[in-house]
Formats: sequence, structure tokens, C-alpha cells
Amino acid sequence: MSVASDRIVEGFESTGHGAFVEDFDESAGSMTINMGPVHPATHGVLRLLLTLNGETVTACRPIIGYLHTGIEKECEDQNWRGAVTAVTRMDYLAQFFNEQVYSLAVERLLGIEIPERARYIRTMIAEADRLTSHLVWFGTQALDMGAMSGMFYGFREREMITDFFEMVTGLRMNNGYIIPGGVWEDLPEGWEEAVATILDVMPRRLDEYEDLLDENPIFLERTKGVGAISADDAVALGATGPILRATGVDWDIRRDEPYDAYADMSFEVPTESAGDVYARYRVRMAEMRESLKIVAQSADKMPAGDHRNMDPKLTPPPRSEMNRSMEAVIHHFKLMTQGYIVPAGEVYTKVEGPRGELGCYAVSNGGTSPYRLHIRDSSFVNIQSLPVMVEGGLIADLIASIASIDPVLGGIDR
Amino acid sequence: MVERADWMPERADWMPGSEWRARAEKLEQEGWLVMDLCGLDARDLGFDHRFEAVVQLLHREKRERWTVHVVAEGDPPTVPSVTDLWPTADFMEREAYDLMGVHFEGHPNLTRIMLPEEWEGHPLRKDYGVGKVAIEFIPQPFMQIDGPGQSTSRGEAGVTVDHLGQVKVEEAGA
Repeated sequence: MSVASDRIVEGFESTGHGAFVEDFDESAGSMTINMGPVHPATHGVLRLLLTLNGETVTACRPIIGYLHTGIEKECEDQNWRGAVTAVTRMDYLAQFFNEQVYSLAVERLLGIEIPERARYIRTMIAEADRLTSHLVWFGTQALDMGAMSGMFYGFREREMITDFFEMVTGLRMNNGYIIPGGVWEDLPEGWEEAVATILDVMPRRLDEYEDLLDENPIFLERTKGVGAISADDAVALGATGPILRATGVDWDIRRDEPYDAYADMSFEVPTESAGDVYARYRVRMAEMRESLKIVAQSADKMPAGDHRNMDPKLTPPPRSEMNRSMEAVIHHFKLMTQGYIVPAGEVYTKVEGPRGELGCYAVSNGGTSPYRLHIRDSSFVNIQSLPVMVEGGLIADLIASIASIDPVLGGIDR
Repeated sequence: MVERADWMPERADWMPGSEWRARAEKLEQEGWLVMDLCGLDARDLGFDHRFEAVVQLLHREKRERWTVHVVAEGDPPTVPSVTDLWPTADFMEREAYDLMGVHFEGHPNLTRIMLPEEWEGHPLRKDYGVGKVAIEFIPQPFMQIDGPGQSTSRGEAGVTVDHLGQVKVEEAGA
């Protein structure tokens, strides 16, 4: 038996408080307890080791790994095309961003360009995905602050957008739609109407959300000045996305290091200065409106043409061609049994996900599967800011801070 | 075999672990930030070393990115830690240690982060036997059955715990 489990058994028997109390120091009046990994407010299987003095949190240590599935290792056994299926399952609320950052990496290693239409489709679908992700954040943030109706509203609108995803990709989640070389299928008939419905409904609903929360005294009391982090701390801890922009650091990869079609889009990067939960709420609400702008622009400017790179070494030939051409049959056979070869090299690509910088470090040794694939998940890095936000505050404010980081454990643990 | 000249990021540098600490202090003062750090097993890449820590740096004012390969030296492969310069490297170094077995000298809490502390081996290494390593978790106290007439403390004669944490009590005289 190991030292670690010895300690747990001892603690379990001696305190008699149950397994969630790790330590109880009667003279100092402090208690170390476990919050999670199955606590409903930790948004998954996040475990927090909290040292409490009364209701004040004096120390907070996030413990992760309960959802570790070894996706990075699994990708090494897939071919380059097949790994899309694995990476999309990491941060399951931002599935298109995972696929996008991985595809950008493989395209850079291959040294290929993708058609204009594919770049616009990717941009449009990724921004719609940012909306779905932020709507889940809205629902959970409101729910954790006691406004249960927020949850229903957020998920109602999210359902409308996931219906659009289903229409385009065939699936609501884990789509595997963005692939190296473009996107899997062209947009289906009637996509313009679906986008128009989203663009018509969403602004009104966002107004409704703000009506619900902006002047709600309970919500304001629980978010203003709560869980604050300074810009210096946020930068030092590597926080990105809405957490960083809520402290006043004006950094957005979409604008500062543009990829896909973002260079052709005009949008604002909302920032706030307070760095508290309320500032993060304001930033995300403003971001949703900007996302709608980008969806509208990319739908308006949607170019005609191929939806993926039609190089036969990369894309299987159309079925009709395979009946006539031996060449096409060979290409199809090679792609299906072996996959394409990616030249040796390494690359780091990054996209602005809903939670911040999502990076992909890919290494190829000239084979048909990734030699090493590492995803820099934004939640994994952002969760390190939690202790700074909550230490010295109340345990109830901890709930608000976790919700405002918007962690996705599938991404943290990978 | 990979030639370094064919290696193709915009900007990449290799440096031995012994130089990394001094360079890191300088880079931190110049305003570079660590955005990502991960372990790399270069067994099949044709380099004359095996393990690296790959650091992705970002300079926001210059809008520049830079990849630094820090070559791990010694056995176990060791790289100096930079958590005191960039606190964000804390989790990243723990992840590289856990999954790749790269040690970070000077890290205040270099423990496993994804896998249980009792885990053996480092799964992202190329010689880690996928499918050959049995996945077993150490049974925790709440998994044990404490029924009348049964002794469930491990180590006693006649009591075994199987790989799912279920306690098996052998019948007396069986």
C-alpha cells in the first residue's frame, strides 16, 4: 500500500467526518476539505482542495486528471485524418476550435493552401460555436448565481445553433467537420435561412439576458468586485481569453495573429478593466454580439468554389470518378488504407477559442500518423488563476469564480 | 531521419538544459511569456538526444512567437524549472513530468498531475507499451465492503483485493 492511500485511510478513520475532510486543525480553527470531484458547481470533475477558516478560503489547490483519457497518445496511433475524431472530443463545448487548430497545424506541415470558401465556412462555423460555448457559460454562471431561468434560456438558444450544426455536419457535438485541407462537406441547401434565423433571433435574446441580469441586485452583489485578478497576475499565470481581456489586456489572436478568414472581417475586441466576475460577464456578453457580426459577414461574403483542397493525394476522389479511372481507385485505396504522408517537421498553431488561446504543437517524422501531438488547452492554463481569484474570499464567491473561468474538464484533462 | 535544416517552424532554437536557466531569466526580463511547454520524446527523430522540453514563447508587444527546444540531460532526463519566472509553467511542467518523464529541477511540487501518484511509467514515451501495461488503480477505503464476519483490512491472510477494488474473502478451510 502506498503512502498516499495510507494517509487517506488514516484521515478517514481518525476524523470521522467522512472522506471529504482531509485535515482539521482545531487550535488554528482551519479545516482542509475536498470540494469535488463530483460537486455540481465545479462544472465537471474538478477537485478543489480548500483550506477554510470559517467561511473564508485561505488556500485553494485545484487537482485535475479525473477525466484523463490520453487523447494525445491516442492520436499517435491514428492517421493524420483520423486524429480529427480524437481532438474534437477534448474541449467538447468548443469542438470546432479543436478541429480548426489541429487542421491549421497539419496544413502548415503539408505546406498547402485551402480554398477561400473553406476558410469562410470555418470562420462562420467557429463563431457560431463560440456562441454555443458562451451560451453554456451564461446558463451555468446564472444557475450558480441562483438564477435558474438563465440555464433554460441559454440552452434554448444553444439548441437552435446546435440544430444548425446538425444540419451542416450531421451531428450536434463532436462533429469532426473541419479537417486538414478544408471542411468535410459543403454547406447544405437552406443554410442561408438557418443562419438568418440565428442572426435574427440572437440579438433580441442577448438583450433579454442582459435585462435579466444587468439590474438584478442579487447578481450584481455576487459578481461585482468578486474574484478579481490584476492584469499582471493574469499575464504571469498565462490566462488568456475573456479572463485576460476582463483585466484590460487587449489581446485577441483573431485580430492580432489572424488565421482563416479573420483578416477580412471587421469586429471589435471588447475589454473591461475591473478583472472581476462581472467584468468577465460583460466581456463575454459583448463577445457574443461580435461573434454574430462575424457570422453575418462571413455568410454575406461566402465565396463560391471548392470546400476542400481537391489534391488527389489528400482528398479521396468523387465516387463517379472511381468508376472510370484506375488512378482514382489507387488514390482512394492509398488514402483509405494508409492515409497521406506529412513531411517531417514541427509546427505550433493557435486560435482564439471561447476560453482563450488554443494551441496545437504537432511533430511529424515523415509518416502517416502524428509523431507527437500536444494541445495547449486554454482551460488547463486558466484554471491556475483560480487560487489567486478566490484566496481570501468567501466560499460562496468561489462558486462565482469557477463559473466565470468557464472551465471544461474534457479540455483540461484531455 | 530528420535533418534540422528541414525542420520548419518560423523560429526555433535548440539549447542544452544547462543554458536554459540563464537564458530564461534574460527572456523573462525582455518581456517574453511562456504560452506552452510540453515534453517531446525524440527517439525516432534522428537527434543525438532523447528528451526535450518544448517551450512556446510569445512577445505581445513585438507580436512574435518563438519555439525553444530545451534538451534534457542526465538520467532521469532533467531540465531546470522556470516556475519562479513564469508561474504559468507550473501545471505545464507537471504535465511534462507526468506524461513524458522529464524532471524539472527546482519545481516546488513536481508530482503527477493527470495520472494517480502510484502510476508506473510515463505514457507519452515511445517505449511505453500501449496495451501491455495493466491499468490498475489502488483500492480506496470507500471501495471496501465491511460486512459482518468479514475482515476487510488488506494484508491479512485470506483477504485479496482484485483489480476492480472488490474484496474477495476466501472461505475458511476452502
